[in-house]
Amino acid sequence: MVRYIIRRLLQAIPLLFIISILIFVLLQSSGDPLASMGGKRITRPEDRARLAHIMGLDQPIYIQYIYWLVGNDWVQIDIDNDGIPDTYGQRKGVLRGDFGDSLVNRGKTALSLIEERLPNTLILMIPAEIIILFFSLLVGIFSALRQYSLTDQVITAGSFIGYSMPIFFVALASMYLFAVNFRKWGLPYLPTVGMFDPKVGKSLSQVVVHMILPIFSMSLVSISGYSRFVRSQMLEVISQDYIRTAYAKGLSERMVLIGHALKNAAIPFVTLVGIDIPFLLGGAVITETIFGWPGMGRLFIDHLNRFDTPVVMGILMLISLAVVFFQLLTDIVYGWLDPRIRYN
Amino acid sequence: MFNKHTITKLLGLIIIASIVLTACGGGEVTATKEAPTTAPTMAPAAEKIITIAWTQEPNSLNRSYSSMWYMSVLTDIYSCWPWTYDQANELHPYLLTELPTVSEDGLVVTMKLRDDIVWSDGTPITSDDFVFTHEMITSTANTVDSAYPYDKFTISAPDAQTVVMTFSEVFTSWMASLWQGSLMPKHILQPVFDAEGTIDTAEWNMAPTVGCGPFNFTAWESGSYLRFDKNPNFWGPAPKLDAIVFQFVPDDAAQTAACLAGDADVCFWPPYEDIPSFREAGLNIVTEPSGYNEGWFFNFRDMASPGIKDVVVRKAIAMGLDRQANTDLRLGVVKVTETFWDAMPANVDPSIVPYEYDPEAAKALLEENGYIDSDGDGIREDHDGNPLTITQGNTDKTERQNYQALAQQQMLAIGIDLKTLSYNSDILFGSFSDNGPAAVGDLDIMQWSDVPYFPDPDSSYWLCSDIPTNENPYGYNYFGCDPTLDALFQEQIVTVDPTAREQIFWEITKYMHDNVYYLGIWEDGDVWIVNPRLVNYKFSGVNPFFNITEWDVTQ
Repeated sequence: MVRYIIRRLLQAIPLLFIISILIFVLLQSSGDPLASMGGKRITRPEDRARLAHIMGLDQPIYIQYIYWLVGNDWVQIDIDNDGIPDTYGQRKGVLRGDFGDSLVNRGKTALSLIEERLPNTLILMIPAEIIILFFSLLVGIFSALRQYSLTDQVITAGSFIGYSMPIFFVALASMYLFAVNFRKWGLPYLPTVGMFDPKVGKSLSQVVVHMILPIFSMSLVSISGYSRFVRSQMLEVISQDYIRTAYAKGLSERMVLIGHALKNAAIPFVTLVGIDIPFLLGGAVITETIFGWPGMGRLFIDHLNRFDTPVVMGILMLISLAVVFFQLLTDIVYGWLDPRIRYN
Repeated sequence: MFNKHTITKLLGLIIIASIVLTACGGGEVTATKEAPTTAPTMAPAAEKIITIAWTQEPNSLNRSYSSMWYMSVLTDIYSCWPWTYDQANELHPYLLTELPTVSEDGLVVTMKLRDDIVWSDGTPITSDDFVFTHEMITSTANTVDSAYPYDKFTISAPDAQTVVMTFSEVFTSWMASLWQGSLMPKHILQPVFDAEGTIDTAEWNMAPTVGCGPFNFTAWESGSYLRFDKNPNFWGPAPKLDAIVFQFVPDDAAQTAACLAGDADVCFWPPYEDIPSFREAGLNIVTEPSGYNEGWFFNFRDMASPGIKDVVVRKAIAMGLDRQANTDLRLGVVKVTETFWDAMPANVDPSIVPYEYDPEAAKALLEENGYIDSDGDGIREDHDGNPLTITQGNTDKTERQNYQALAQQQMLAIGIDLKTLSYNSDILFGSFSDNGPAAVGDLDIMQWSDVPYFPDPDSSYWLCSDIPTNENPYGYNYFGCDPTLDALFQEQIVTVDPTAREQIFWEITKYMHDNVYYLGIWEDGDVWIVNPRLVNYKFSGVNPFFNITEWDVTQ
């Protein structure tokens, strides 16, 4: 197993390298970060030249990539653009933990911007994922065990309705119902936007209250989809011979369902969840935007719109790393769920 | 090696680590040692705090490092301008004892500072701060967004209360584009510049705890909010409010919900379709001209279609558009405009008669000039038998796309085939070398909202020298070179006498109107939604928060 893990980690190095090149090239060709710096007018050529030079954007793309990767503290930089190198660069490069400075929030590093937002995203996404997994399993199993019953039909109809609704609709509808109209009707209400009320301050109760609507919106759509998946997997497994054998041996229903049926039905579900989890780090763009949640999704979209390569690269590489890690973790969990799987 | 228990423990550890990380993280507030690092845990009941929903988060609080409108207007709160504009966009001295004086040749501008003005830490504001700010903005060591127009003049400080700006050539619009919230405290930033060779990394840029406005910066949580508290050392009238919170709400519909629910006291620029909801909820709707007009820019360059280069067709288009019907859809919040300068009426020739909606007259005009539908397909042909097809393009903003559909119908009614296109704004405004459709002249008519150097009427849009070419790929005169118009624009730039300059603009507006080089569609002014608990508020198109010290709450 250890050799397997080491081999997978070594394989990840060239993979991440190729991913970084692809993303870098795509970002460089997607837009001009200097275009909007002129305010009411297009950035003047003299300002463009000055900014491009100081920010290193006047270098060929492969040089920019090399500086991003390994830094530029080993080459002399011509700061005043007089053709004579003045001093060594100050960037250390991603391999030494320096993702560069933001082109938009100048004076702040890409990493510091990510560090500010990542905890907020995790505060929202981890509880959301736990709720989604719990209720997906609960609803999916419940529905499978009562196949074609009235309850199953109702759950099926509800799932299709939930899955068909775009998340922005659920988010706005719930906001208007529980925050605007409930207040108007004199009922207990929830806040509309934000992670907490800035006038009150950040406290556990404030954050929890502000989490309810975003988590509800994300969960409704995801539970609807996942529960269908769990239901179909459970239906397939509970009709297998070994389940019948387990019942015949006199095992309790709980033991058969949890210990045998669910464990086997969960393997494809684990794959799905393993793919999902890394993207939790990227936040939920739509939900965060609508509810004004200060997470990674908004950071990503705000900086992507302004072609802030260091920040966008930082976020995407973080997600890439997480994908590699969680895929590895998923493989390990397979081995736990299914004893037939061996990695040595 | 990895048995079930080990894996279970590993998973457990990951979950615990995630929870710990979650519990430890967040809540970092950008502030210096002098500011509280978090918002107060509970506001005393007597504190007067308002929340303003703000759709865009600033990228810096140093005005020179940000070109965002949503940042620039905040400078009324925590920074200071030498002069300010009121609700009527009239000028008033602010840091000055009187409005700046200008030499007869227009090259030397002198400002006399008040002797009682201080930074929020009590340090006097002197002419050295102006000289230092100029030095920082024009220094090649700093990545300020633009050195314009500070690189057009030199500056000196004969004494602590006098600032002299000497321009190399006449620059008439200096008052509308200089020192707008950009003043930097020398005593804070000079040591940073001396130590690091740049102020790019100065903490003050993101946390300007030493300011010169009625409120002090106190907290900025990334993606969440900005907070300003009353400046106890403010040299002007004491603000009535204790604090102002700008909460970042990027989604329009969510902003509307926040205002309707009372979570925000002020909202800005909501979708027009939400206006009835605000009215029904008893919220106040305030509109102020900001100089911006949504309009059609006509392309008369060589590559434009033959039809659009004919002034007869352009006039027919102006008469065939029912612009009032469109503004009616905007629920009375906006009005029809005619010229690019409608928000500055003193600069518009009063003899201009707006193009009235008259499709029959438009059709007759086209008929008289040989544009006839000879094949009966509903589209007229020109003298050479080419169909009168005009290409119109704008950004992919929904309200523009909606307007395209309306305009297309109205043009079809007079026999013009209007082909409409919409683009992402980065593509539409791409440079000549990037084949931007506006720059290379793919569009006959372009629509967007824009403004002169408001409240100064100067605009460099129609200068012949700004036509985009291979040699000038970032030129932004996408419309064409008319020597008469170019000469008028050049003349206004060097005309110091305000009355004579107004006369030139009368000529410009009349000439452009007669030739239909530009056609206003609707006034794109500022729309503010205000909770009735807020009183004494006024807004200005230039300095929206110019009377922020007067704002108060009743409950």
